[in-house]
Amino acid sequence: MTVVRARPHLGTLVEIGARGPGAAEAVDAAFTAVARIHRLMSVHEADSELSRVNRSAAALPVAVGDDSWVVLKAAQALAEESGGLFDISVGARLATLGLLPDHGAPPAPTLGDWRDLQLLPGRRVAFARPLYLDLGGIAKGYAVDIALQSLRDAGMTQAWVNAGGDLARFGTEQVTLQVRHPADPARLVPLLSWRIGAAATSAGYYAPQRNGVPQSPLIDPRTGRPQILDRSITVLAPTTLLADALTKIVALDPARATPLLSAHGARAFILEGRPDGDVAVFDSASACLPEEVSHV
Amino acid sequence: MMPLAPWHLVPALIVPAALIAPAHAAQYLSTEQAQKSLFPEATAFVPHPVMLSDSQRAAVEKASGVRLRFVRPPVWRAEANGRTVGWYVQDEVYGKHEFITYVVALDAAGAVRALEILDYRETHGDQVRNAAWRAQFTGKRHGDPLKLDEDIQNISGATLSCKHIAEGVRRVLAIHQNILATP
Repeated sequence: MTVVRARPHLGTLVEIGARGPGAAEAVDAAFTAVARIHRLMSVHEADSELSRVNRSAAALPVAVGDDSWVVLKAAQALAEESGGLFDISVGARLATLGLLPDHGAPPAPTLGDWRDLQLLPGRRVAFARPLYLDLGGIAKGYAVDIALQSLRDAGMTQAWVNAGGDLARFGTEQVTLQVRHPADPARLVPLLSWRIGAAATSAGYYAPQRNGVPQSPLIDPRTGRPQILDRSITVLAPTTLLADALTKIVALDPARATPLLSAHGARAFILEGRPDGDVAVFDSASACLPEEVSHV
Repeated sequence: MMPLAPWHLVPALIVPAALIAPAHAAQYLSTEQAQKSLFPEATAFVPHPVMLSDSQRAAVEKASGVRLRFVRPPVWRAEANGRTVGWYVQDEVYGKHEFITYVVALDAAGAVRALEILDYRETHGDQVRNAAWRAQFTGKRHGDPLKLDEDIQNISGATLSCKHIAEGVRRVLAIHQNILATP
């Protein structure tokens, strides 16, 4: 039996589907896992672990749990590999733009960046200068990975988790991965056929608007300014966490992202709407198509 | 403007417009299924007709800061052997890109116990305001959601804001406080 449910979490609609014995209970448990990650890593909640770090880590090191530690480690590794193109300290800019709440924490214009984030022995986090960390570009992917793992552990034969475009699945059935049309998000572009894997898409079409101007939540750390996307970027990667974070790097600089994609066994697609209604797909692996992924 | 990578100069593939289909609606749970799932201990769901007077309507809108969609919101009282265990309040939110029918399960004291999406429909430009187009979804709610099984398609890139759901929950809580909690 297959169970498909949706609940609001992580600032988006999370859909979880599973097939196997006890699918209903397994889906419930997967939602519980997503909610747990949301409570730990949301900057929208003043008492989350992340908000606690943001408030106090400039004064003294703050100990965090396993989940936050894994995500912070991964974020720092990607920041280093991308020369700061991926930077979770852009929260201060987002708060200044009114895209993130300010819990009395220091969006006094902080000058710090990812290099001021210190991950100390004993899973302690410290800031060399005041920072406002935002895990919006990576925590959703992690939550999807954790939820899918719980479905695997529950013995499901097929399952998927989709958190607003960060999605992962496993199973025996080959299905079509569809991506929203970059210029017309209510239409779906069939991108490829897959059975197992993780994908994430970044695009500008659902960006909040202010006075009719889209407020992109994607900040270019080099300029501190929002990057407006007129194309969409989809990344396939071994984990949703990686796929989620890599879409941001590809969006800011596809050339610089290319070696990172191959180093992580990932692959990016850039979709561009054409005036005739067709969609052009650019593929970072266009030179060598892996066999397990075939275009539809 | 995005800088280019070599692989970003020549498309690997052109997806023709003819293959690009409108997003479809998703039905997750029927009202009966959601009731059973949210209140497994309940022995009965008693429809609890709520007819808001003008002053109640104003009070709810003031308390929640959100406009009311229904004058008669669909409400059920969940009972276990004659005792009230909670409230099941169905609501809809219309966003820029989506229509969502969802349900808020409140415990007997009026705290949110769970939130569940019943169905989700994409908006398609100005079809949204077209009553005939909207009517195509009528009656599907009680359909078997397991039909999804036959047509599993994964959509990446649906970063929808849940702002409207959060507002809707405020409205539901105000309905409880102003009407359901007062005997």
